[in-house]
Amino acid sequence: MRDINDTKLEAIVSELRRPAPFDATFDRRVMRAVRTVATRPLRLISPLMPMPRWRVYSAFAAVAVAMLAVAILPGRHAMRAKPVQFVLVAPQAKTVQVVGDFNGWDPSHAEFAAENRGGGVWSLTAPIPPGHHRYGFLVDDSLWVPDPAAPRVADEDFGKPNSALVVEDTP
Amino acid sequence: MDGRADALIVEQVLAGDVDAFATLVARYRDSCARYAMHMLGNREDADEALQDAFVRAYRSLGRCEDPERFGAWLFRILVNRCRTAGARRARRSKTFLADDEALLTASENHPAEQWAWREEIDRALAELRPEQREAFLLKYVEGMGYEEMAELTGVGVSALKMRVMRACDRLRVLLKEVRSA
Repeated sequence: MRDINDTKLEAIVSELRRPAPFDATFDRRVMRAVRTVATRPLRLISPLMPMPRWRVYSAFAAVAVAMLAVAILPGRHAMRAKPVQFVLVAPQAKTVQVVGDFNGWDPSHAEFAAENRGGGVWSLTAPIPPGHHRYGFLVDDSLWVPDPAAPRVADEDFGKPNSALVVEDTP
Repeated sequence: MDGRADALIVEQVLAGDVDAFATLVARYRDSCARYAMHMLGNREDADEALQDAFVRAYRSLGRCEDPERFGAWLFRILVNRCRTAGARRARRSKTFLADDEALLTASENHPAEQWAWREEIDRALAELRPEQREAFLLKYVEGMGYEEMAELTGVGVSALKMRVMRACDRLRVLLKEVRSA
């Protein structure tokens, strides 16, 4: 009989370190999806379509992705990035993070944390590279909220629709 | 075995060689699959999260700041995918180890007691709070240091140490309960 003590932790870890191989079709399925992404433009859904049922957040969100016309940072890459303002009205939120493909869908980036401007209005302006992007708001580290003012992307992510953003590559 | 460095493969993919990405998939599939399986508790969710992580990595490859450390960057994406998938799954009925393939493999490769032990571990792991399970897996199963974990998760070192400690304590209690039942 096994006993649970400090040395048992090693046995637990040893067991958990065993490989968990996926079936042989996994690589093919991933590459099929990758090739689809590589060739397919974003398909947009009308922003007027009904909100999905999962969206229960009580805050009434309005708004906007406003694009300014000039680049804000020097340098070859930064010259192309455009400042984009993200705004969400969420009076009860404690934190609001902008998460999208432009930051690796990583909610830990401090520079994408929106600030509470008062009256429940959260906003952030960040440099976004030209191109088609997908994004959303992460409220209180747990609730995914698409931008109600932006078009949705048809390719839903785990049942959670993303918002679409197009940043033009203009000088 | 393809010995090309990650940075070289990333460069090839960015230059338009989509098929080169398959090498990265094959290179990191197993280690990522293990984490996703333990974090999400069943093969279907793990498969979905991992596939999504690879596709997201491909989409965002141009933003991988250090291609030589593609694996670490991919792992960060996977951790976030598992967080999202775990939150979604929490709204469904709780299931774990709905993995017939793993059961079949285990029954062929391990004696019954070994498999029962493994099942107990999986059940105990599923009982942990998600953030504790995440910290425990990164620390002990993936062998990361706390600084690396902090960089990956965006959580402070002190908080991570606390999560790991509580996870260990909880696992001991849960597995002791099972053994004494």
